[in-house]
Amino acid sequence: MTTAQTTTSTRGARIEARDLTKTFGAFKAVDTLSFEVEPGRITGFLGPNGAGKTTTLRMLLGLIHPTAGSATIDGQKYHDLDHPQSIVGSALEATNFHPGRSGRDHLRVLAAAGGLPDSRVDELLELTGIPAAARKRAGEYSMGMRQRLGLAAALLGDPRVLILDEPSNGLDPEGIRWLRGFLRHLSNEGKTILVSSHLLQEVEQTVDDVVIIANGRMVRSGAMSELRGAPSTIVRTSDPAQLAGALRVADVLAQPGDDGELIVETTDKRLVGDVALRAGLPIWELRDRKADLEALFFELTEGTNRNLGDGNAVPTATAPTTHAPHETDAISGQEGANE
Amino acid sequence: MGAAIKSEFRKFFTTRLWWGMAIGIFVSAALFSGFFGWALTSDDITADQTGVEGSATQIVNSVYTGGLSVGYLLMLTVGIMQIGSEYRHKTITSTFLSTPKRVTAMFAKIVALLGIGAVYGLISLLGSVSVGAMVLSLRDIDPFPSTEVLRTLALSLLALGLWALIGLGVGILIPNQVAAILVGVGVAWIIEPLLGFGLSFVDALQGVVPYLPSQATNAMVNGVTQSGVEVKPLSWWAAALVLAAYAAALSAFGTWRTVRQDIS
Repeated sequence: MTTAQTTTSTRGARIEARDLTKTFGAFKAVDTLSFEVEPGRITGFLGPNGAGKTTTLRMLLGLIHPTAGSATIDGQKYHDLDHPQSIVGSALEATNFHPGRSGRDHLRVLAAAGGLPDSRVDELLELTGIPAAARKRAGEYSMGMRQRLGLAAALLGDPRVLILDEPSNGLDPEGIRWLRGFLRHLSNEGKTILVSSHLLQEVEQTVDDVVIIANGRMVRSGAMSELRGAPSTIVRTSDPAQLAGALRVADVLAQPGDDGELIVETTDKRLVGDVALRAGLPIWELRDRKADLEALFFELTEGTNRNLGDGNAVPTATAPTTHAPHETDAISGQEGANE
Repeated sequence: MGAAIKSEFRKFFTTRLWWGMAIGIFVSAALFSGFFGWALTSDDITADQTGVEGSATQIVNSVYTGGLSVGYLLMLTVGIMQIGSEYRHKTITSTFLSTPKRVTAMFAKIVALLGIGAVYGLISLLGSVSVGAMVLSLRDIDPFPSTEVLRTLALSLLALGLWALIGLGVGILIPNQVAAILVGVGVAWIIEPLLGFGLSFVDALQGVVPYLPSQATNAMVNGVTQSGVEVKPLSWWAAALVLAAYAAALSAFGTWRTVRQDIS
């Protein structure tokens, strides 16, 4: 279901990485990485610190020469783009400003390189919410202001693709909310958006797709809904086996979970409740089962983190081997009704 | 290309460095031309056998370009900083993002630095010609004895631009900006002139001396020479070619290296 239909001015542009590899000496920073980023969607590019995210983004942008493989944007290498600012906007690090140059002048320098008028600079300062700071020297900016300035720089040429490296770093909760809405708005215009982060939770509510890497290699990619898995329901009762049988009769599959729980493959809690009532079983608990993305992310990425050395993996004692159910949305207040 | 050049000019004129340099260049040009205007026209110096020798034109040339040796050191610094501050503040990333063809980006820097050299050259001439001409007039010496003086003034603009390009090369060769400035200025200001002085006493190597950057720069503007020195300076055009060759070699090397670099 590719989107990008119905949108006005923006023609979709895909990002494509093919077997991207980068070695620094004996160190393989990125290892035969292939992925695609679709227009009209926000894609999270995830991995722990040192996984190779920034190196990959810099290869997409022609800043680092790949050892092997290729990266294209809208079918072209970044280096070959004639008007890169109108195709790709990027914000890599919030520290890339000359401290003695004002934010507005920083944008004017970039605008000149892209043949854009100064009026566009003022427009973006307005749009990113920093017009008041525009004439202050960038050295005096807070981290949040730098992020906004970086975003303004990325958007100068009204690009079709947006590549942002850890854009919410240093933003306050209000800023993060603003950024989320802003990115959603841009993606609805049909733009292709790639956002890196080392925290899945941070982008969980923002992204449609994910590309997860660890130690320079792909570990998982796909739609966020896929990652979450099929929604199901957790029910606790006096006799799980009997309830499972009763549910099977109603064409609903159920497996026993931890601690006497029963995991039912449906989101229809009413159905579960009705079946239990007919079977004469008490319901002690009935709630949504959601994949614990944090645990899943750890499981996917932390196994052998090369940056921590052998046998020194982060102790994830609390992370179970399968998706831990996340305690949310308890809809029934029957817990412990019998005791 | 034009866009990238415009961007380079904006980079330079949107930090406070540029007017600090402008004041430095103006003041040094005015002071040195005032000093040379007074010193070179004193009878006890020109009459003395160990002093300087030169035609009326050469004396005037020397007066107007008296601040050139300070000027070119400042331009060397400007050249280093045009690339060094990009490494230091990591703005090189946005430079290559907005101009991904790095040869174009580097060529824009080269053109911009030649332009910046010319701008500073004009500022320097503003100081040196006004003060120098005044001092010479007070000494009853014709401040414009021949049109050759105009050639010297024009070449001093070129010399400053070429030194900025030498700086660009040094700034890429030594990516740490502070180290690059210390090494660059140290070599150009102290080591190279001393080397030239030392070599002039070695018969076999004497011929190399006029080809050293500082010697070539002085020969370009055709000033007075130290009497009693064996080594003959190059003619102005040969000197200009020699300095241009240094600038071309260093900036070409810098461009080649920058194109291959990973920017991380």
